[in-house]
Amino acid sequence: MIRHHPSPTLLLRCAAGQLPAAHDAVIEAHLARCPNCRAALVDAMAVGGALLDQTPKVAMAAGALDTVLAQLDRPLPPVAPLKPAMDFVTHPPGRWRRVAPGVATMTLAPRDATGTRLDMLRVAPGSGLLSHGHHGLETLCVLQGAFDDGIERFAAGDFAEADDALDHRPVALPGEACVCIFATTGYLKPHGVLGRLVRPLLGM
Amino acid sequence: MSLPSPDTRHAAWLLAVGTERDRAAFVALFHEFAPRMKAWLMRAGVPAEAAEDAAQEAMLAVWQKAAQFDPARATASAWMFTILRNRYIDQTRRGLRRPPIDVLPPPDSEPASQDTLLLAEERSARLHTALSALPNDQRAALELAFFKSCSHSEMGKVLGLPLGTVKSRLRLAMAKLRSALAEDDMTP
Repeated sequence: MIRHHPSPTLLLRCAAGQLPAAHDAVIEAHLARCPNCRAALVDAMAVGGALLDQTPKVAMAAGALDTVLAQLDRPLPPVAPLKPAMDFVTHPPGRWRRVAPGVATMTLAPRDATGTRLDMLRVAPGSGLLSHGHHGLETLCVLQGAFDDGIERFAAGDFAEADDALDHRPVALPGEACVCIFATTGYLKPHGVLGRLVRPLLGM
Repeated sequence: MSLPSPDTRHAAWLLAVGTERDRAAFVALFHEFAPRMKAWLMRAGVPAEAAEDAAQEAMLAVWQKAAQFDPARATASAWMFTILRNRYIDQTRRGLRRPPIDVLPPPDSEPASQDTLLLAEERSARLHTALSALPNDQRAALELAFFKSCSHSEMGKVLGLPLGTVKSRLRLAMAKLRSALAEDDMTP
């Protein structure tokens, strides 16, 4: 059972198209397993529609309608379908890189112009990540296994988001390896000597 | 019987475009939505010329995707908004390229009944009422969430408030709006 969900704020920003793409990818991994949040996002889109209704019109350029009408029969460019994130567990799209005992990461997308990157993380049962805080938004969805962040348990499908405020130290729980997809905007700020040592290894 | 309200009219146009490739219905949709889409994009920080192009492309996408519109799942405005949102993302997104989230599930094969259109109409009316009834601070937070192109952590700074305050206002606003949308699910 999924117990942790994206906040209304995050779903609204997602609906508005205001989130960096990597965070959308993490939210999508959660939506694939959470019909309630998908319904919440559909409602956020409806709110967007109502705000669009209330937006006063501005004049389109002269000839805009004719320009569009002339293109109506143009064939559609093909769009490659996106692999659901759940497939990443069984069919990793890249190579795992060991960054610490029991911890491996895989880069799915490098840091983009918004300072956001998309990665996967695999943590062996009982291994911990460094205690870390955040300078920017971090979103995470558990794809397999479970971890405990020192406060609560996060299992497959669970979603975590953190902004500036949070400090935590996630530890993978016993069972299968914990695999997560996560997006980070800005840089993590690891605490303590070990954090400063390992930060360059994690490249975050 | 009164005249059909805007959302029913828009839904009927969209269905006509989707099922019959009705150009007159498309022209009607264009006049109703293209100028609002352009205004939306400009408000979200897109320069006027780029907003013009993106609004035109969005209307082209409306023509191409209208067959996917299902009034049982989304009001006409919500559906038009998803098209606009995806254009906006294409317009502004630098860096990671990926297809936008496919929010709305594929339509049912059943054709839309008059009841479906009426229910959608009522949902839309309730949503507009609830939106107008929001306290000013929640409305401001909602407009910030939709229109302000800034990082997540900057959202509070824009209103001069802690991020947590903005988030709790949005939580309250969405609870009200969602309950307005859900009312028909509770009536027998």
